[in-house]
Amino acid sequence: MKIAFELNGIKQEIDYLPDRRVVDLLREELGYTGTKEACGSGECGACTILVDGVSKLSCLMLAAQLQGRSITTIEGMSPGKKLHPIQQAFVDKGAVQCGFCSPGMLMATVDLLQRNPAPDRQQIRAALSGNLCRCTGYQKIIDAVESAAAEMRDKL
Amino acid sequence: MTTYASPIGSSLKRVDGPGKISGLEKYAADYYPDNFLWAGAKRSDHPHALIKEIDISPVRNLPGIFAVLTHEDIKGANRVGVPEMDQPVLADRKVRYKGDPVVLVLAENKTVLQEAIDKIVIKYEPLPAVFDPEAALAENAPLLHENRNDKNLLLGGRVVRGNSIAAMSECDAVAEADFQLPWQEHAYLETEAGVARVDEEGILAIIASTQTPWRDRNELAYALGWPLDKIRVIAPYLGGGFGGKDGITVQGLLGLAALHSGGRPVKMWNSREESFLSSTKRHPGRVHYELGCKKDGTLYAMNCRIVLDTGAYASLGGPVLALAMEHAAGVYRIPHALIEGFSVYTNNPVGGAFRGFGAPQVLAGLEQMMDILADKIAWDPLAFRLKNAVMRGDETGAGVWMSNSTAIIPCLEKLQEHPLWTSRQAWVSQAPPFKLRGVGIAAGLQGTGYGPMVADIANAKIELLPDGRFRIYSGVADMGQGNNPTNVQIAAEVLGQTADCFELIQPDTLQTLPSGSSAASRTTYSYGNALKAAALQLKERILTRACNMGMGLYAEDFLLSSGRLNHLPSGREIPLGLVAASMRPEERVSIYSYTAPVNRYPDKINPDIRAAGFPHRVFAFACHLARVQIDELTGEVEISDYLAATDAGKVLNPQLYEQQVQGGAVQGMGYALWEDFKLDRGELMTRNLATYILPTSMDVPDILSIAVESVEESGPFGMKGIGEIVINLALPAIANGIARAVGQHIFKSPLTAEQLLLILEKRAAE
Amino acid sequence: MSQVFLPHTLEELWTIKQENPAALIMAGGTDLLVKIRDRKLPPAVILALENIAELRQIERQDGEICIGSMVTHQQLLDSPIIQTQLPVLHQAVAVLGSPPIRHMGTIGGNICTASPAGDTLPPLYVLNAGLELKNAATSRLLPIQDFIQGPGQTLLGSNEILYKIRISIPAPHSQGFYFKVGQRKALAIAICSMASLLQFAEDKRILEGRFAWGSTGPTVMRFPEVENTLIGEKLSPIILGRLGQSMAALVSPISDVRASAEYRRLLASKLPLKIWQSLI
Ligand SMILES: Cc1cc2nc3c(=O)[nH]c(=O)nc-3n(C[C@H](O)[C@H](O)[C@H](O)COP(=O)(O)OP(=O)(O)OC[C@H]3O[C@@H](n4cnc5c(N)ncnc54)[C@H](O)[C@@H]3O)c2cc1C
Ligand code: FES
Ligand code: FES
Repeated sequence: MKIAFELNGIKQEIDYLPDRRVVDLLREELGYTGTKEACGSGECGACTILVDGVSKLSCLMLAAQLQGRSITTIEGMSPGKKLHPIQQAFVDKGAVQCGFCSPGMLMATVDLLQRNPAPDRQQIRAALSGNLCRCTGYQKIIDAVESAAAEMRDKL
Repeated sequence: MTTYASPIGSSLKRVDGPGKISGLEKYAADYYPDNFLWAGAKRSDHPHALIKEIDISPVRNLPGIFAVLTHEDIKGANRVGVPEMDQPVLADRKVRYKGDPVVLVLAENKTVLQEAIDKIVIKYEPLPAVFDPEAALAENAPLLHENRNDKNLLLGGRVVRGNSIAAMSECDAVAEADFQLPWQEHAYLETEAGVARVDEEGILAIIASTQTPWRDRNELAYALGWPLDKIRVIAPYLGGGFGGKDGITVQGLLGLAALHSGGRPVKMWNSREESFLSSTKRHPGRVHYELGCKKDGTLYAMNCRIVLDTGAYASLGGPVLALAMEHAAGVYRIPHALIEGFSVYTNNPVGGAFRGFGAPQVLAGLEQMMDILADKIAWDPLAFRLKNAVMRGDETGAGVWMSNSTAIIPCLEKLQEHPLWTSRQAWVSQAPPFKLRGVGIAAGLQGTGYGPMVADIANAKIELLPDGRFRIYSGVADMGQGNNPTNVQIAAEVLGQTADCFELIQPDTLQTLPSGSSAASRTTYSYGNALKAAALQLKERILTRACNMGMGLYAEDFLLSSGRLNHLPSGREIPLGLVAASMRPEERVSIYSYTAPVNRYPDKINPDIRAAGFPHRVFAFACHLARVQIDELTGEVEISDYLAATDAGKVLNPQLYEQQVQGGAVQGMGYALWEDFKLDRGELMTRNLATYILPTSMDVPDILSIAVESVEESGPFGMKGIGEIVINLALPAIANGIARAVGQHIFKSPLTAEQLLLILEKRAAE
Repeated sequence: MSQVFLPHTLEELWTIKQENPAALIMAGGTDLLVKIRDRKLPPAVILALENIAELRQIERQDGEICIGSMVTHQQLLDSPIIQTQLPVLHQAVAVLGSPPIRHMGTIGGNICTASPAGDTLPPLYVLNAGLELKNAATSRLLPIQDFIQGPGQTLLGSNEILYKIRISIPAPHSQGFYFKVGQRKALAIAICSMASLLQFAEDKRILEGRFAWGSTGPTVMRFPEVENTLIGEKLSPIILGRLGQSMAALVSPISDVRASAEYRRLLASKLPLKIWQSLI
């Protein structure tokens, strides 16, 4: 089936099996391996991408659902050379250990800060509660989101 | 000249950060080589059975199936494992747990792969199975491995100090309890994965998510019958490990697949369910304690019996037991002690290495015993611990000599003066309606390094590149803890460089040097020592060469700085590239081999236990505090505050140190409250992340970390291992808090809301 | 490979459905795709509703709120109408799954899955929600408790879809409560849940009390005979405790990997007191 969609700002028209999962399309077909898979059943958030700006799970989406949509993956988060302020904050605040949850966490954070540019720590915890991390204990991820939000507000 | 801030002791940003957060870092799971085949295993659905017949005819000619392999296709010994090689790559005569791989399929895509796995028929003759380690020790229990003298006992032994039986009767107070500890699943986010290929020269190259590339290579050569010098293992950054990738996971199957793929690359990546089914877990066990003290608060006698369920195969079940026994007396001086240990085969999943390596199980018990006993003699639990805690030079109740830095007392003192402790009574009394509150503490230790099991050797390699930059050949895999970024920090310190002057090569048996496993809190300790020395040697070589080149008279006149040599007397700056250009390639490379010290051990411990790694020489210490609040209506526990005081020597990087403290504590909280790995006669009930409950960001608090920095002379820049001590105390600290809130200790963990509510109800009814 | 259809109108949908009678309806896919992955459902032609705009609306008409079956949990959470008029439902979706699950999962999917643990169900039961079912020819309205027959079992006809959920706005001076006990605070399937809608008179006496229990039987359960005992009473821990005791005797929970029947029953007896806990 021909599927036309926008991936990180670039128009794509591909021929792919409509019932394969979006995570497979991204990783296996298009080589975008920044989107991870860690459960395949909605429980971990590692596969989070933005679909028309909203965080969704690419392991629970079929390729056909991309038709006409615009999606963002971690690879599209900072189109230039410079890191996105949220990414920078993740690096600066030590929010990354093994890093396997990080792409999903970042996508979830983008979604959060679009909805709420000034979340408190409890709201951040709630917003990231669909993204499991086994390494960090979450604290430095919360620190990073808090700091990125402040930084982005200052820029406005 | 720019001012130069010393990297050691600073929160230098991890150099692996940018690659990971941009999605560009390639993990083993991220490789999809051209023209690759998927490999996958058909696994046993019997816990214990003879394989009667494997019928692959239904799939031989299935379109998309490339090969179907059984044990008969394996040329080598078909056994992996360390130290005991007892685990088949593909089961041959029989299967020993539900999940044992029997047939390996190579297919063009995952859909056919699954179809083939479904269609293959294996006929079994079921054998009696045993799921309880105590039952497995019984005379007529079914045998997992028939030809062993010790039958189902993988390792057993005892530590005897004084006469604990007699001494116990001389105690003024004695407490006794039996603790039941669960399996714990590592649940790293990146499930076991890798790709493999045999090239034209016959080199079998495997890129895998592994903590042990060098050991894997040895095991693969033996198991698959392929020459060692024709096997290459590469370990990119891991998406988590925690011990679960300490040893072969998919590598054996992958290697076998690659030897039968006609030169095509093969890929494996376990689903979460398959990961749960096939990976090792933290050993479940029973720990029985009897602990006695005198009226004046002095611990006097201890009896401890540890039974660990190692499952169907040995994995690291022996060394884990030895470490559990070594840590069984915790941080206390106890003159009379008897510690008995048993690591036992059953038809359950395989127990293996997991952060803490036996210590979390025993400390869970001991530290609750300390509270119970303190209550019996009406002592403050913290004062009771302080009274009995070891200082440098002491021996613990297990007979382990604290020969090196020992700062458990300062850790306890930090807690003692902390408001979370001093204000505890007020906090408890302010519990809102329908809530119960309690504050618990726990103290403990963790050995750094292998102990006298195998020599703990690291071989560092660092190179000055022709352009004046440096390349570090990391010898130890980085599963996320950041040891390889720390290598940059160490080399930067020695060589006066900034982090951007380095590139890192991840462990690769072809390019880097054997340096042991990413395990045992040793990664930075052992490799860091080696790297520090290698870098120093390289520095001397660079300075000498500059003199050679007529740029100065004395090596001491030079200072290394970012990409440059500064000649202090003249103020001249010489680009490092210039010096590098005058060096031969072999001069630009510096290697150094470091062997970690061990305490040789006299009597007291039987040789089998010693050979499994008892005792250690360098220990990290910690004391944790948890404030818990229990909902009387639901039994749910909330950890309101959490404090960790840790002595892991000098802190090389406060940010990475906190990463370990926070991440370890939360993993420990999972072990304490939620992670209830359930099996029913060998059958997995908690099959995946929907039913095996990991803490989310909503379930855990921020963690306060206090670093108590002793100076460990043997460690690079005074550090010792931080990776494991962080997980050991959450369970007992939380359990002690809960006990104070509820008025009763609970001996079976995890301390689920269900258990708590049922207990509260029972108490209310009484 | 199976086909995936994404019709933009109901007309298109009916045609496709007619040509592919075995096609599976997909809303957000958060239940359906998990079941297919777990091989509890065979791979089949998928008929996705996500592009049908008229299923995505929340409307208020007179005393009634009409929620399209494809309204996501997040939409409910963000909707001022739901927040102000149906707080009991609002509280439930706030604790459903996780943010991405709420962005994808729909109320229609939650209902049609008919799990006794479904978080929107107890609120919909106490709200006496009506379900509008539609096929190519006609539509019909069923009360939710009639529609749901058992775990995963509904009266959905093979040519029907769930079209809209119709809810009468609760009387003034009503208060809604939703409590769920899961194994953790997010990404938690209910071990026991309870929705309650209490209507008070001027003097704070209870005019009507409705309670629905989740995860304590094959379907969400209500016990009108027990509810009626509240009429005329004032809220107190004693009243609520007594109510819990009566309810606990009536529920019929099972034991599974998440919790024992004993724990579930105990929770059922305690959850009414959560109302008191939340008010003080
Ligand atoms: C990780 C995770 C966590 C979850 N947590 C929770 C939770 O906390 N609480 C909870 O209640 N649920 C939870 N769920 C379950 C699920 O997300 C919800 O039930 C959700 O509301 C289902 O909606 P959906 O749109 O995704 O349904 P789908 O999966 O698309 O559909 C579910 C079923 O309903 C049918 N269906 C859907 N819409 C219609 C319609 N309009 N007409 C006819 N048939 C229809 C489908 O054919 C299918 O059989 C969780 C799921 C996951 C994966
Ligand atoms: S892989 Fe999609 S949620 Fe885990
Ligand atoms: S950093 Fe490893 S899972 Fe989050």
